[in-house]
Amino acid sequence: MLRTDEILSTIEMLHAEHLDVRAVTLALNVDDCAAPGVDHVCRKLRNKITTRASRLVEICDRVGAKYGIPVVNKRLAVSPVSTLLAGHGHGAALGVAKTLDAAAKDCGVDFVGGFTALVHKGIAPGDAVVMKSLPDVLSQTERVCSSINVASHKAGINMDAVRQMGQVILDIAEATRQRQGFGCAKLVVFANIPEDNPFMAGAYMGAGEPEATANIGVSGPGVVGNALRRRLALGEKLTLGELAEEIKITSFRVTRVGELIGREVAAELGVAFGIVDLSLAPTPTVGDSIGEILKTLGIERVGAPGSTAAVALLNDAVKKGGLFASSSVGGLSGAFIPVSEDAALAEAVGRGDLVLEKLEAMTSVCSVGLDMVAIPGDTPAETIAALIADEMAIGVVNNKTTAARLIPVPGAKAGDVVNFGGLFGSTPVIEVRNAGSSAAFVRHGGRIPAPLQSLGN
Amino acid sequence: MPRFEHAYVLDVMSDDHPGIVAAVSNAVESLGGNIDSCSQTVLGGYFTLIMIVSLPEPLDPEQLADRVRKSESLGGEYQVMARPALSVKHCPAELCDRFVITAFGKDQPGIVRRFSQYLAGKDINIVDLYGDRKGEEFVLIGQLEVPTRWDIRMLQADLEQMGEELGFTVKLQHENIFVATNQLRLTGALPH
Repeated sequence: MLRTDEILSTIEMLHAEHLDVRAVTLALNVDDCAAPGVDHVCRKLRNKITTRASRLVEICDRVGAKYGIPVVNKRLAVSPVSTLLAGHGHGAALGVAKTLDAAAKDCGVDFVGGFTALVHKGIAPGDAVVMKSLPDVLSQTERVCSSINVASHKAGINMDAVRQMGQVILDIAEATRQRQGFGCAKLVVFANIPEDNPFMAGAYMGAGEPEATANIGVSGPGVVGNALRRRLALGEKLTLGELAEEIKITSFRVTRVGELIGREVAAELGVAFGIVDLSLAPTPTVGDSIGEILKTLGIERVGAPGSTAAVALLNDAVKKGGLFASSSVGGLSGAFIPVSEDAALAEAVGRGDLVLEKLEAMTSVCSVGLDMVAIPGDTPAETIAALIADEMAIGVVNNKTTAARLIPVPGAKAGDVVNFGGLFGSTPVIEVRNAGSSAAFVRHGGRIPAPLQSLGN
Repeated sequence: MPRFEHAYVLDVMSDDHPGIVAAVSNAVESLGGNIDSCSQTVLGGYFTLIMIVSLPEPLDPEQLADRVRKSESLGGEYQVMARPALSVKHCPAELCDRFVITAFGKDQPGIVRRFSQYLAGKDINIVDLYGDRKGEEFVLIGQLEVPTRWDIRMLQADLEQMGEELGFTVKLQHENIFVATNQLRLTGALPH
C-alpha cells in the first residue's frame, strides 16, 4: 500500500512542478529502404515509417494519461540517410528529406532526426551528398533534423569536415534568412555522437542498435530547482555535498518516471525499449531552467566564477541518481545548457555575464556543448569552424559527447535579440571575440590525431 | 490464516494515549488468544484499532469485547466491538487495476459523497481512503481497484468535470507512477 506522503510528494512533482517526459523518440533502422532509384527509396522509406510509427502519438498520449504525466514530444529518428544516399546525388538527398518530412507529418510528430553523416575519419560519397544538401534540406523542410559527427575519441577531429561545416552553417543561415537563420537550429555538429540519443536535433539511430527502439528523454530542471529551493527554505545550513544528494534523489525519481513510461510505450508499439536519457533539458518557460538551478546553488549571475563547478556538481548528481534508477541509461545524459532555450542563460548572455568562452568552459563538464548559441551573421566560416573545433577538442580529449549548434543570424550583430519561437526560445546574439583570427589554423585541414587517451587497449 | 480455529474481528476506538495496544493485547492473551493481524490509525487525536484475533475455544463476541473493555490499563473513553471473523476476503468480481484518485480544493460538504458515489456507480472499490482539511482546503486521496473494462480517459474526464463543478483539481493516475517515484521496488508485479 502506498503512503499518503508518497502520493502527495509525487503529485507535487507532477502537477505543481510540471514534471513531464520530454521526448519519446521512436528510432528506426531504414537501411533496408536502399534501392537503385530514388523514387523507389522514397516509397519504401515513407511506407516503413508510417507503418511503424503511425500509432506513436496515440500510444504516448494514452500511456501519458494513464499515469497523469504528459509526453511532451513524440519524435522519430532514423539510421543515417547517408547510407541510402550513397551512389545518389543532390536531387535524391532533397527527395529523401522531403519524404522524411512528409512521413513525420503523417505520423503527427514534430521532428525526425537522422539526416546524418558520420565523417569523423573521412567523408564517404553518401556523407558528402548529405553535407552539401543541408542548406536546401533544412530550408525546404520543416521537420527534418540533421547531425554530422566530425570527431571521435578514437579518430580525432576531421578538420576538413569541420571546415566544410563552418561554411555549410553559414549557407544554411543564409537559406533561412527570413527566419533569422533558424535552419541552423535543426543541425548539430558532434564529437562522439551517441547512437541512442532521443533529443533533437541530434537524434539518430546508430549502428549496433536493433531494427526499432523507443528511447526516452526525461527532463525536469524545474523539479530539481524546486527540490533544491525547498531544502534551502528549511533554513538549515547545507553543504554542496548535501545539495548534490538532493539533486541525486530527484534525478532518481525523474528517471523512474521515464523508465515506466518508456517500457510501456515500447511494449505497446511492439518495439524494443532502448534507453532513458537522463538529461536536464530546459525550456524557455520561466523556472524550467538550468540557469535558475545555478542561481539557486548560489551563483548570483550565471557565468560568474564558480559557474563551471556548479554545472559539474549538477551534471554528476543527475547521472548518479539516474544510474541507480535505470539499468538502461544512455543518450546524452547530463545537464543541457542550450542558450536560447533557457531563459536564465539567455538573460545572462544579454547582461554580458555569460560570454562565449565561459559557456565553452561549462560545456567541458556537462552535456552537450555550444548549443542554440546565436552568433553575429558576419562571423567568418573559418571562425565558425574554429568554434566547432574547440568544442570537438573538449569531447575528444575527455572522451565525452560534445556538440555545436551555432546559429549565425543573418544581418544581426552582438547584442541583437532573436526569437526562434516555441521551444527554441529567444536569445541575444553573443559576441564572438577575435573573429577571423584562426583562419590559417583551420585552413591547414587534415585530421587532428586522436589523443593519447584513446590508446586505452 | 488465524492461528486458532475461532477467529474474531475486534475493533477499538478511543482518544489517543499511550498503552491502548498493550491493554488490548493483554486482554487477548488472558483469554489464551492470538493476534493474527492488526492495523491502527490515529486521526484528529482519535485512535482506532482493528484486529483479527483467534481463540482456541469458542467465546461469545460480546464477552471478548467486555474483557477488552475491562482491561485495567486501558483507561479513558473508548468503544470496543467484536464479531466472529468469517474467512471472507474481498475479491474483485472482475479483472481490476490499481489507481489513485487525488482531489484538492476548497472544503465544502459533500466532497467525499460525490466522488465515492461516482466510484461506486462504476464498481470501483476504494481500498484506502485519506481526507484532511487544512485551513480552507480539503485533500482527498483514494487508492482504488478499477475494473479494466473502463476506459481510463473517460473516467478521468468524468472526475475532472465533477472536480470543475466543485472547484476541485482531480487526478486519476495508475499507482505505478507513485511506486516508481517513491519506492525501491519494481513496478511490474505488485504485492497487495
